[in-house]
Amino acid sequence: MSQAQAQPGKQVMPLAEALEKLAKLEQENKLAEADDLASRMLAAMPEHPHILHLAGIVSYRNGRVPEAIARMEKSESLAPDMPLYPRNMCEVYRGAGRLEDAVRAGRRAIELAPKDARAYFNLALILYEKLELEESVRVADQAIALEPDYPEAHFERAEALLLAGRMKEGWESYEWRFKLKQAEGMLPKTDKPQWDGTPLPPGKLLIIGDQGFGDCIQFGRLIPWAALLCPQPIVAASGELQPILKQIPGIGKFVTRWEDTGEYDAYIPLSGLPRLAGIGTDNVPPAGYLAAPPELVEEWRVKLDRLCPKGKKRIALVWAGRPTHKNDKKRTLKLQQFAPLFARDDICIVTVQKGEQISQAGGYYGRAPLLNLGPEIGDFLDTMAILKNVDRLVTIDTSVAHIAGAIGVPASLVLPKAPDWRWLLEREDTPWYPSIKLYRQHEAYSWDGVIERVAAAL
Amino acid sequence: MTELKFNANSCPCGSGLRAVRCCEPEPGALALQDNTVLLDSQGTEATRLFNEKKYAEAEALAQQVLDVAPNQRIALRVLFEIRKAQSRHEAATALGRRLGALAGPAQARAQANISFAQYLVAQGRHGEARPVAAAALKATPKDATAQHVMGVVLTETGGLQEGEAHYRRALKLLGRDDGLVLANLAWNLKLQGRMDEAAALYETALRLRTDNKRGVGGLAQVEFGRGNRARAVAVLDGALAQWPDDRTLRLLRVLADLAMRQPQAVLDRLGPQEALMAPEILACAQAHDQLGQLPEAVNAWMGARRMQRERSGLVYRPEPLLARAAAYKAYFTADQVQVLPRAGHGAFTPVFLLGFARAGSGLLEQLLAQLPGFAAGDEFAPMAELAEALPGLAAGADYPAALDELLVGDNLRLPDRLRAVYEEKRIRLGLARPGVRFITDRGLTNFWHIGLIKLLYPEAPIIHVLRHPYDLMLANMMHDRKFEGNAQAGLAAMAQYYALHAGMIRHFRGQLTLRYLPVRYEDMVAAPERVLREVLDFIGAEGAVPPGIGANGEAVPDPLPQHFAGRVPLYRHAAYRHRAYDAAMPHLFDEVRDVLAPLIEELGYGQGAEP
Repeated sequence: MSQAQAQPGKQVMPLAEALEKLAKLEQENKLAEADDLASRMLAAMPEHPHILHLAGIVSYRNGRVPEAIARMEKSESLAPDMPLYPRNMCEVYRGAGRLEDAVRAGRRAIELAPKDARAYFNLALILYEKLELEESVRVADQAIALEPDYPEAHFERAEALLLAGRMKEGWESYEWRFKLKQAEGMLPKTDKPQWDGTPLPPGKLLIIGDQGFGDCIQFGRLIPWAALLCPQPIVAASGELQPILKQIPGIGKFVTRWEDTGEYDAYIPLSGLPRLAGIGTDNVPPAGYLAAPPELVEEWRVKLDRLCPKGKKRIALVWAGRPTHKNDKKRTLKLQQFAPLFARDDICIVTVQKGEQISQAGGYYGRAPLLNLGPEIGDFLDTMAILKNVDRLVTIDTSVAHIAGAIGVPASLVLPKAPDWRWLLEREDTPWYPSIKLYRQHEAYSWDGVIERVAAAL
Repeated sequence: MTELKFNANSCPCGSGLRAVRCCEPEPGALALQDNTVLLDSQGTEATRLFNEKKYAEAEALAQQVLDVAPNQRIALRVLFEIRKAQSRHEAATALGRRLGALAGPAQARAQANISFAQYLVAQGRHGEARPVAAAALKATPKDATAQHVMGVVLTETGGLQEGEAHYRRALKLLGRDDGLVLANLAWNLKLQGRMDEAAALYETALRLRTDNKRGVGGLAQVEFGRGNRARAVAVLDGALAQWPDDRTLRLLRVLADLAMRQPQAVLDRLGPQEALMAPEILACAQAHDQLGQLPEAVNAWMGARRMQRERSGLVYRPEPLLARAAAYKAYFTADQVQVLPRAGHGAFTPVFLLGFARAGSGLLEQLLAQLPGFAAGDEFAPMAELAEALPGLAAGADYPAALDELLVGDNLRLPDRLRAVYEEKRIRLGLARPGVRFITDRGLTNFWHIGLIKLLYPEAPIIHVLRHPYDLMLANMMHDRKFEGNAQAGLAAMAQYYALHAGMIRHFRGQLTLRYLPVRYEDMVAAPERVLREVLDFIGAEGAVPPGIGANGEAVPDPLPQHFAGRVPLYRHAAYRHRAYDAAMPHLFDEVRDVLAPLIEELGYGQGAEP
């Protein structure tokens, strides 16, 4: 292996230092700089396995997946006994949707480093994606055996158990979610205990809307159950949820800042209520616990009557989720992927999409008329009122699905092959929301045929 | 002791004066204007030399005088006239501007500004001429010429009704009919669609000024617009018999040939292309297209565009357009617009017809105009003027940032006031007559102003006429029309401008809730009844679509938009005409393929999508 020849006026960095710098740039998300450095290092030493490996990670982070895989595979072939390489490749293959290769890499990583808990965890993730849930739990358990305080492994275990319908075991492992890095700040800094389900005096329980909007809407149905044991609980959640959660009976006060909670004796995250309430797949409290204000429903009815062509079925649509969601890549589609819907001239598409992705509506030229209603939606109450004025919602797995379900609006929910745990396995319905029909991918990461089935059933 | 240096640097404007005596004067060093009269005799001498066509001597003397006193009015006027005659436009502009800015008697100021404004008008620089003409008018409001020049400038910048008012004031101040003013007023009325009035005025104007060739051309165009094609042709043939070398009249005659689909007559009339100017060669391109001589058509328009670039320096300047697009896109976001106040219900429903030039929005307007309840508002729509006026009304920053002022105090009601201004302008055009419920607005620049439209008419229907982008390229390359940023300079420029146009509409559609319906030109010519029915259903208009409706309906609207002049029986041969060109010249679109291919796909004209 040759070192780059020193040239006059050109700064030469020792290899170890350059590798360290490259890894640091990648970790600090300085991806353009990392890309530049990786290219220069590769030009100088195209056969160096660790440069190739790191350069592959940089390519992956920059969205150039085939290049990433080519670099990393070459790296692995040059240094086949380095356990780090297959361990990272396992994740890259997953990102590329190549699950079989990911499993192979995951198993190879474990073979090379049988004491590396991270290698087991990576494999458990892949097995979840392949819906090999028992195996996923077993491999996660191996990771936990090596590193008992490994929150990600516990959480992965929880998700696999819950998805498999093993709710009781799942809820226990689910408690590890607050030890995940991304959960920091979700709970108040307090010396008060987490609520254990025993009665408390009025106003002394703090319920925290801890997860995404969808989770809060879904678990909000358990607030009345908590209020039976601890009357008038304080609910702390994002202000955006206030207008809808306040509809739920039994709440004492609603706050959006920790300093406004006042004194309390114990706290409980909303997502912790199902565990305490012993919720399984057969005892979910019914939907219908939210409702759109009638005057708002009427206001939107009049408006939609003006804006939508007459005589067409109104189909509300959401195609993209919050990009920062950990599984957004799996659940989010491009508007254009709903083309089978757009080919129908008996429907009018009413998009209730919010966020940056609404811009995709600007390039829509399908046969069905499309009303880009997102820009006029102020809050969740507007969304509810609009949904009450459409024939059906077609949506990805996002908060709007929960709203439709909670108010009983018919909805078609498209799901990845390995969905979020709450949608369980195989079934077309969900115990959480009777008005929602589930349309699952037949193949991991492929939406082929899914939207066609939705369109055919409209 | 400070050394005094003589600054001999010439002025970059090309006036021939030293910079410190022209565009970079030393502050406070100029002689008082009154004191420059001491040099009047020299200035008058320079004028005499100029009038005697002793231009070199006149120029030398004027320069000497101006080196002593750069603000000597008479000498400045002489040098301005000389540079003007030499077509040294930068110098003439600098001198004209300085001349107009000199202090002094109102009459002198007015005369200087009128002269400068006329120079700018002759150059087609109407926008720049507007403040100059306004300065003249303010100096001598009772001067008929100042009123007349203001009328010209406003007419050419789209202020038709305001232009008409100034022409009428000019006539009143003159106290008699004037052939030139009447002819210009007639042209203004023609642009407003008031064809009968325009024809009558032209007749009077041409009796007074029988030598007004432009007036004769205007009359011919009015007659053509009214459907009196034989009369229009007779007027032009008569004029050409009198002035056989007048190329403008000949070009009008050629355009009549094209409208009547007599392409061979066009080629015969114009003769060999080597001797032709760009607009004439473009007419040849259309003639070849009509004859099915596709390579000849392409050679012609490519040659004409090359000539415009090489001889006239025509070049696409997208930078200001791109900057504007970026500013508008940054401002008009869903979150930003959601909080802005909207106007309430208006007196009538405007129906905005969007579409790139030659996409067919004119055809749609012609079809709609035949239905009861519709009035054709044409391209002269005030939305762009309102956007321009908004910073003044809201006392804010430039548009669109000035819209932030709508959030404050009294300005909350500004959308209502702006809508009232819009409506008043439409009413003054005679569009809002009894029985009219829908007034079409196909303002060419409306694609920039969909954000403002949203605030003034939140639920107005917006019908976007789509057409295959390659067909648009061909049609626009062959037609002599000026575009923003000189996008007509060539095929690549036109494609980029089209992408900009499409990008603005895509942005507004993505960020705003619009009542938007796309219709396709190709569907419109294949099945006009079905498309019209769809449009009527979309905008909520009742009533039947007459069977067999076409664009050449007998009933013509009043006012009559000028594009109705070219209306012909509905034809289908222009749909997908690019296919024949592509087959004959497979590389024709190579240079624009990368720009247009994604748009073609997005619009649904991609592989396998075309019928």
